[in-house]
Amino acid sequence: MQRGKGKAFLEIFASAVYEDYRFPVLEFFAFLYALGTFVFASFGSMSMSATGEIVAYNVVSSLLGMPLFVFIILIFKNVAYGLGSDIEKGIIQTFFSYPLKRRWILSAKLLSALGVALLLFFSIQISALYILAPDVVTPYLGTVLLTYAANLSFPLLVAGIILLVTLGLRRGGLALILGIVLYFALGIISSLAMFVAFATNSALGLQILSVISPNFVLARYYQPYGPIGGSELWTPTFSEVLLYVGASYVVVASLFALGYLYFSRRFGL
Amino acid sequence: MALIVAEGLFKSYGKVIAVNGLNLTLDKGLITGLIGPNGAGKTTTIKIVLGLLKPDRGRVEVFGQAPWDNPKIRTLIGVVHEKAFFPSHQKTLDYLERTCRIFGMPESRALDVLKLVDLQEARDRSIQALSAGMLQKFAIAHALVNAPQLVVADEMTANLDPQARSALLDLILQFHQDENVTFLLSSHILPELSRVCDSVAIINQGKVWAFGELTELYEKYAAGIIRISTDKPEALAGEIRKLPYIEKLEIDIRGISVKVPREKEENLYEDAPKLARRVEAKIQGIETGSASLEELYRLVVGANKGG
Repeated sequence: MQRGKGKAFLEIFASAVYEDYRFPVLEFFAFLYALGTFVFASFGSMSMSATGEIVAYNVVSSLLGMPLFVFIILIFKNVAYGLGSDIEKGIIQTFFSYPLKRRWILSAKLLSALGVALLLFFSIQISALYILAPDVVTPYLGTVLLTYAANLSFPLLVAGIILLVTLGLRRGGLALILGIVLYFALGIISSLAMFVAFATNSALGLQILSVISPNFVLARYYQPYGPIGGSELWTPTFSEVLLYVGASYVVVASLFALGYLYFSRRFGL
Repeated sequence: MALIVAEGLFKSYGKVIAVNGLNLTLDKGLITGLIGPNGAGKTTTIKIVLGLLKPDRGRVEVFGQAPWDNPKIRTLIGVVHEKAFFPSHQKTLDYLERTCRIFGMPESRALDVLKLVDLQEARDRSIQALSAGMLQKFAIAHALVNAPQLVVADEMTANLDPQARSALLDLILQFHQDENVTFLLSSHILPELSRVCDSVAIINQGKVWAFGELTELYEKYAAGIIRISTDKPEALAGEIRKLPYIEKLEIDIRGISVKVPREKEENLYEDAPKLARRVEAKIQGIETGSASLEELYRLVVGANKGG
């Protein structure tokens, strides 16, 4: 990207951030993140005999619950409603009159929608980790990062699907409603996959579920005798965990690549 | 030098054909009007020219390059869309300054273009607080920020009051004369176009039915038009219609428009008063060659339909 184009990109990004996070949106979501991270975190149920890695996994998992849900709401709002409304109202048409490739315009919008949301999410999460469990972060950084990667894959997968739905529908409100329906539908599909796996005594359902939401495979690795049960059916190795986390990101990247291709080559207004 | 070349453009939305083999060449330095009824294909043509839509078939070049996803040519073009939309929570001057930075123009130009459209007092207003007319003016200011060589405008005067329309037409003429800006203007308001346009393209059913400089088109389609003002237009028109040399006759609020071969103009001047006496009508005036752009449009459509 040439220097002038970089400036154009940053200006469109700044414009998108201004619209996506105008007062009090950013403040409200930051409050929810902080509330969810610090107030609802619970380390009480951890086993004293657990290894350091398992403790690190449990600490990060306990910090994630509500903030992850807040993150999902924020990206729904930004991708489905923010981008969808820009398309519906014709603001994208205005952006298309600027000297910037379409892929950079989409990148500016997504960087605002996802990048800023992720930055906010990680800022509060990392702060919480250093404040609440300072002994865990540095020695088990790999486990901490892997837990975050496994947990964020599913929201990003949903965001990728929502991006495609939004580009297809071109309506902010409708894309938002479909996004929410899709999110719950994926949850139901995951439960069904688990039920089918246990009912048929086949690990295939669990493996498919692990690609959609690799936190599942990580949970089975660290807690094979956890609440889900079925350790005899499938207990993954660490290499398999890495493989499923990687595969899930390949799926996520493919969805976004499809969105970029469509936006750059076929998306007419 | 041609700034826009469109050859054999075809675009359909499902079964609806919006543009059907359209050809258009727009030369540098002209103000060209795109006229046609609703659904004629004007907006689709403009969108293809701006790279917002891909044609199903055909070729389009703007400044010698394909417009789809082409940032290079966008620095040369100013765009006013039929419905103007901008990020709504930003202030007008702030957003224009941002647009200046996007195009690499000095930020001081933002206030200059706001003044050009008489919107400087709304500089601190958020875009969403602008009225429809003000938003249209803002869109025009936005289109001029990058000092474009070509301005493409789709119904740019749609939301403006008569005074603002007149001022805008003056602005177009000023930009055209001072900076040699080329304009492609689509509008339903034909008297406005006739005031500023050097040439027009008459579009109907997705095709260009007539294209050229206004004087040429008047000569080709409207030569031999005689307008008769009378107190009994229906009765007199009934008699005139019976004359063997009448090619076309229309009645409107201003009287009767009659198209006759050039060599028969004198005959009509002699026959009309006689026919008026027959139906006891009073002729208030007869004049030649005063067709409006609206009449020209109707004549072109009539000629293409074989009427």
